[in-house]
Amino acid sequence: MSDKADSKEEKNKFEMARRSFLRGIGMSAAATAATPAWGGQTFSDAFADFFQKHYQRMSAEEIEEALERIERKASLRYGVKIDCANTPPQEGVVFGYAINISRCQGYRDCVDACVKENNLGRDSQVQYIRVLQMDRGDTNLEHSEHYYDPAEVPVEGKYYMPVQCMQCDDPPCVKACPVEATWMEPDGVVVVDYDWCIGCRYCMTACPYWARHFNWTEPEIPAEEMNPDTHFLGNRPRPRGVVEKCHFCLQRTRKGRLPACQEACPTGARIFGNLLDPDSEIRYVLANKQVFRLKEDLGTEPKFWYYSD
Amino acid sequence: MAVIRFIYDSGREMLRGPREYWLWLMILSAVVAYGAFRYAEQLSTGLVVTGMSDQVSWGFYIANFAFLVGIAAAAVLLVIPAYIFHRKDIKEVVLVGEGMAVAAVTMAIMFVVVDLGRPDRLWHMIPFIGRFNWPTSLLAWDVVVLSGYLVLNLAIPFYLLYTRYCGKEASFRLYFPFVVLAMFWAISIHTVTAFLFSANPARPFWHTALLGPRFIASAFASGPALIILTLEIIRKVASYNVRQSVIDTLALIMATAMQINLFFVGAELFTDFYNEGAHAASIHYLFLGLDGFNSLQPWIWFALTLNVTAVVILMINPLRANPVYLNVACVLAFIGIWIEKGMGLVIPGFVPTPLGEIFEYAPTGVELSVAAGIWAFGVLMFTLLAKAVIAIEQGKLRYSGNSRSALL
Amino acid sequence: MKTKRDQPDFGYLSKALNAGAGLASAAVIASFFLLSTVRAQDATKTDEMIRFEGYPGAPEVEVVPRKDELFFFPCDQCHASMEPNPEIRPLDTMHDTGIDHGRGRIWCLSCHDFEKRDYLRTLLGEPVDFDDAYIVCGGCHANRHKDWAFGVHGKRVANWAGTRTQYNCTHCHNAHSPAIPARPPKPPPPVRAGLKRERDADHGESSTNSTEQE
Repeated sequence: MSDKADSKEEKNKFEMARRSFLRGIGMSAAATAATPAWGGQTFSDAFADFFQKHYQRMSAEEIEEALERIERKASLRYGVKIDCANTPPQEGVVFGYAINISRCQGYRDCVDACVKENNLGRDSQVQYIRVLQMDRGDTNLEHSEHYYDPAEVPVEGKYYMPVQCMQCDDPPCVKACPVEATWMEPDGVVVVDYDWCIGCRYCMTACPYWARHFNWTEPEIPAEEMNPDTHFLGNRPRPRGVVEKCHFCLQRTRKGRLPACQEACPTGARIFGNLLDPDSEIRYVLANKQVFRLKEDLGTEPKFWYYSD
Repeated sequence: MAVIRFIYDSGREMLRGPREYWLWLMILSAVVAYGAFRYAEQLSTGLVVTGMSDQVSWGFYIANFAFLVGIAAAAVLLVIPAYIFHRKDIKEVVLVGEGMAVAAVTMAIMFVVVDLGRPDRLWHMIPFIGRFNWPTSLLAWDVVVLSGYLVLNLAIPFYLLYTRYCGKEASFRLYFPFVVLAMFWAISIHTVTAFLFSANPARPFWHTALLGPRFIASAFASGPALIILTLEIIRKVASYNVRQSVIDTLALIMATAMQINLFFVGAELFTDFYNEGAHAASIHYLFLGLDGFNSLQPWIWFALTLNVTAVVILMINPLRANPVYLNVACVLAFIGIWIEKGMGLVIPGFVPTPLGEIFEYAPTGVELSVAAGIWAFGVLMFTLLAKAVIAIEQGKLRYSGNSRSALL
Repeated sequence: MKTKRDQPDFGYLSKALNAGAGLASAAVIASFFLLSTVRAQDATKTDEMIRFEGYPGAPEVEVVPRKDELFFFPCDQCHASMEPNPEIRPLDTMHDTGIDHGRGRIWCLSCHDFEKRDYLRTLLGEPVDFDDAYIVCGGCHANRHKDWAFGVHGKRVANWAGTRTQYNCTHCHNAHSPAIPARPPKPPPPVRAGLKRERDADHGESSTNSTEQE
C-alpha cells in the first residue's frame, strides 16, 4: 500500500514536472515568436510573411494584417511610421494618360516627383519614368538619347518623349508571369503583388516598353524623404528581389487625386483621366488631337497616348 | 525490401572506387562547395552582385540554362535508336545517356533557381497551393516539362536498372509507352525553352519562328558531342565496352545537325542583313558591334569559327572516323555552340533595349563561380549515376537477397 | 441605234427651268435689298451683336486665382492718382519689363484697361478681372483657349474627377514674355549600383528656347 502511495506521489511529481515543462516550452515559444529575429522582424511576422497568400486570395482580414506587417517592417527598416492602405478601384473608372510632346521640355521634373512619391530606392536605379531626347523628325527609338544632360533644355532640334508603363489592355507581362504576380485591375492599372513576385524577371523580358524594373538590391530611402501615404499595390516600401513599375500612383488616383508626374509637370504636358467619362480631358484629346501610341503594331493596346499640337 | 537494397547497393557503388576516382569526386566537390559559398553571398546581398541590370535582365545563368536544356534533350538521340530501331549496341549505353539527361536537367533547373530574385518564394509556383499560371505563361510550361522530363529520366532507368539488378526481364509493355513519351517529351523541353524566348515580340532578335528549329539543331549537335567525349572517357576509365558503331552513329547525327544549325545561322544572317532595318539591331550588335559597343563580337566570330571547323571535320568521312579528329571536332562544337546558344543568344536579345538604349553586360566573379559550381555539381551527379549504371550493366551489382523479391 | 425620233423632247423642260431661274434670281436680289435695310438698322444696336460666351460643350472650370500672386496688385494704388497716357512708348521705372510678346504688334494697353488699371481688357474694350486673364489671352490665341477650356492645354490641379480646377494662362506664362524659358534639366537616370555606363552623359549643346509659341 505504501508502494501505491509512493507511485501516486511519483505520478503527481511527474505530472507537475511535465506540466511545467510544457508551460516553459509554451512561454519560450511565445517569447521567441515575439523576439526580433531575421533582421529585426519577429518570428511570427516572418512566418506570416512567408506564408502570405496572393493578394487576390486574401480575405479582408488577411489583407489588414498584411498591411500592418508592412507598416511594422517599414518602421524597422527605415525608422518611419507609414500608413499602408488598400483603397479599392472606383467603379466606372478606367485610367488613361496622354502626353503632349509639343509641351514636354525634357525637364525630368516628372521623374523626380515619381521617385519621391513612390518611395523608389535612391541608389537602386529604379526610375519608373524615362524621358527620351529624340531628334526632331525621327521616331526611331534607337536614335534616342536617355542620358542627355545639357546646360539647358529643350535643345535645339530635339523633342522629348517620356516613357513609362503603358498600362496595356493586352499586357504581355501579365501573360508571362509564371505565378500571376502581376495582373490588370478593374480600373485598368497593371499592378504587381510585391509579396508574391519570385523575381524571375520574365515579365521584364516580355515588356516592349522597358517599363518594368527590378530591385537588384534593397531599396535605400532616406527616412525624411519617405512618403508615408502608401498603398499595398502601389508605393509601399518594396523588398529586394522583386519587380516593380509605374502604377499610375494608385495611392493618389484611387482617391481622386492626380498622379505625381502630372502634378509635377510645369508645362501641363500631361493629361490624366477616366477613359470611361466622355467629358474627361483624356477623351477630348483622343477625339480631337493627332494621337499615337508607341509600338502600336505589337497589339498591346496601351492606355498611354502621345500627341503634338 | 529489394528496392531499398537496390538503392543502398547503388549508393555504395557510387562511393567505391580507386584513388583517381576519389580524387575526381573531391575536385568536383570542392568546386561545388566554392560555388555554394559564392551563392550564399548572392543570397545575402542580392542579385546586385551579378552583372545584370534592368537593361540586360538575363545573363550568364540563363545562357547556361538554355544550353543545358539542349544537352538534356539530346539524350533522345540514344533513346530512339535503342528502343525504336532496336540498336543493341546503343541499348548498351542508353542508360548512361539518360544519366546525362538527368544531370543536365538538374543543372538547368539549378541555373534558373540561382537566377531568381526570391528563391524563398518558390512555393508560389506550386499549383493550387500557390498560383501557377499554366497554360498561359511559357515559363510555367518550362517548369512542367523540365520537371516531367526529370521524373521520366529517373523513373525509366530506375525501373530498367532495378529489374536488371534483380536479374529479371523488364516488362516491355510497361516501360515502352513511357519511353515513347520520353522521346516526345525530350523534343518538347527544348521547343518550350525556345518558345520562352521566341514568344516575345518585344525582343525582335528572338521573335522568329526559326528559333525553335535552331534550338533543336544546335542541341543535336552539342549533345552528341558531349556524349561521344563522355563515352570515350568511360570506355577507358571504366573499361566498359562502348562499341565503335555507337560513336559512329552519334558522329553522323552530329555532322548532320551541325550542318543544319549552320544553315539556320546563315538564314538568319541573310534575312537580317540583306535589307537591314531596325529589327536587325541586335544581330548587328552581336556580329558587327553597334555604336562602338562590341563586347560580344570577338566571342561570336570565335564560336562561328569553331563550329565551321567542326562541321568541316565531321563532313570528311576519314576525319570523322579518326578518333583524334572526331574528339577535336566534338570539343570545338561543344564550346562553339555553348557560346553561340548561351551568351550569343541571350544577351543580344537585350541589346538594344526596347527603348533603343545600348547597355552592355559582362558576368561577374559571383556568376562565374556559381555557374562553375553548378556545372561541377552536374558532372558529379553524372559521375555517380554512371558509376552505378555501369556496375549494374556489367552485372557487377546483383540482388543477393531472398528469392521472394517483389517484382512486376 | 438611237435616231433623232427616239430622243425625248426637252424643249418644255428647258423653258420651265429658264423661267424658274429668272424668278429665283429676282427673289434673291429683292431679299438682298430688304435684308440690307433691316441690317443697316441693326448695326446701330450693339447689344444684339453675337458675343463670345465660351465654347459649346466646354465643362465648368474653376480657375485658380491669380491676384494673390501679383506683387504690385492692386494697380490703382498708384494709378488712381496718375494721368493715363495712351501714347505708345517704351516705359520705365516699375514697368520696364519690356514686352517680348507679339513682335511689336501689341503693347501694354492692348491688354491692360486704359482707365481702370485693376483690370485687363478684351479686344472689344470690356474690362476683365486679373483672375479671368484667360479671356484676354483667348482673344488672340483662340485655338489654345479652346484647348484650355476643354482641359487639354494648361494644367489641371488637385483632382482628376469632380470639380475641375485649372491654372490660369498667366500662372505658367508671363504675359509680358510668354515663351517658356529654357532651364537646366534634372539629372540623367542613374545606372544600377555597381555598374558603370561606358559613355559620358550626352551634354549636348545648350540652346536658348527659340521655339515660337502660337
